[in-house]
Amino acid sequence: MVYRALGEFLILVGSLFLFLAGIGLLRMPDVYNRMQTGTKATTLGALSLIMGVGIYHPQWFFKTAIISLFILLTNPVSSHALARASHNKGIPLAEGSVLDRYAEDKERGLKEEENDS
Amino acid sequence: MRKWLAIIFLIVLGFFMAKITSSFPFGEEKWGVSRHYVDKGIEENRGSNLVTSIVVNYRGFDTLGEVTVLFLAATALAFLLSTCRCRRRYERREASLIVKTASETLYPLLILFGAYIFIHGHLTPGGGFQGGTVIASAVMLMLLAHFTFHPNHRALSTVEGLAGITFVLIGFAGLIWGGSFLANNIIPLGQWNRLFSAGVIPLIYVAVGFKVGSELSGLITDMIKTTKEE
Repeated sequence: MVYRALGEFLILVGSLFLFLAGIGLLRMPDVYNRMQTGTKATTLGALSLIMGVGIYHPQWFFKTAIISLFILLTNPVSSHALARASHNKGIPLAEGSVLDRYAEDKERGLKEEENDS
Repeated sequence: MRKWLAIIFLIVLGFFMAKITSSFPFGEEKWGVSRHYVDKGIEENRGSNLVTSIVVNYRGFDTLGEVTVLFLAATALAFLLSTCRCRRRYERREASLIVKTASETLYPLLILFGAYIFIHGHLTPGGGFQGGTVIASAVMLMLLAHFTFHPNHRALSTVEGLAGITFVLIGFAGLIWGGSFLANNIIPLGQWNRLFSAGVIPLIYVAVGFKVGSELSGLITDMIKTTKEE
């Protein structure tokens, strides 16, 4: 029963990542950091959990693969939209952040517009 | 002061609620009609989802009323929106390329999922209302991601009307050939737990799914499109 052990291992890894995501949501300093723990760890945590279940019960594998595909498709996109919206709304980064590429990008875009006109 | 009043009020309310509910025999022998649903439901309707059998067959008339209420609410809201000059309080920003592409990919899949839910209403949890709502959420995703997306309103209302008529016609067919309104003995019941089973129940739920889906899609379109830019 090798596949059973593999499934159990994946479920364990998934629950570990979900646990870390929960801690991250409580501990991270600003919206963007919380979002990255929430989404990255949830994608990986939920994915390995669901695929673990699929490997543990091989007759469910196809269904769990489709569910994972949906999570892969939707979760990053929705977090991207949320992060973009909060940045555009002007929610500040945590103190001590050193890089804000999106703000640089937007500034550059504005300057180019000025040069064009 | 107000806090204490609220707490006292809640305690009194809770006391009477507990008093009322303690007189219900929980977990004991089911009462007449629910006993009948549990014992005879599958035998009489051949639908493995007993909730659907109750919602669409035993209490089908009630569901027809619910669908009508939904229709009236949607119509009234559309009327109110057409008379008000609602203004948007914020500037709408074009969605990013990632969101647009993903929504285009997801849109047909979400509609497929909604259709799956209401077609399998008599076999698995969910049914017409839930499937219709999933379809409406797909339309809402497209409306939020694309400014140019505009569902065909006339087609939506046509589908909605036809679905409502189908529900009523199935009911009348039961009245003519089956003996009572929405009677479930006009077409063969089939075998339990198969896709083609449970007589008219899946037909009605497909109609309800189309109706709810088109209705809510039209409603969401109205709500998003009637607000004007300042």
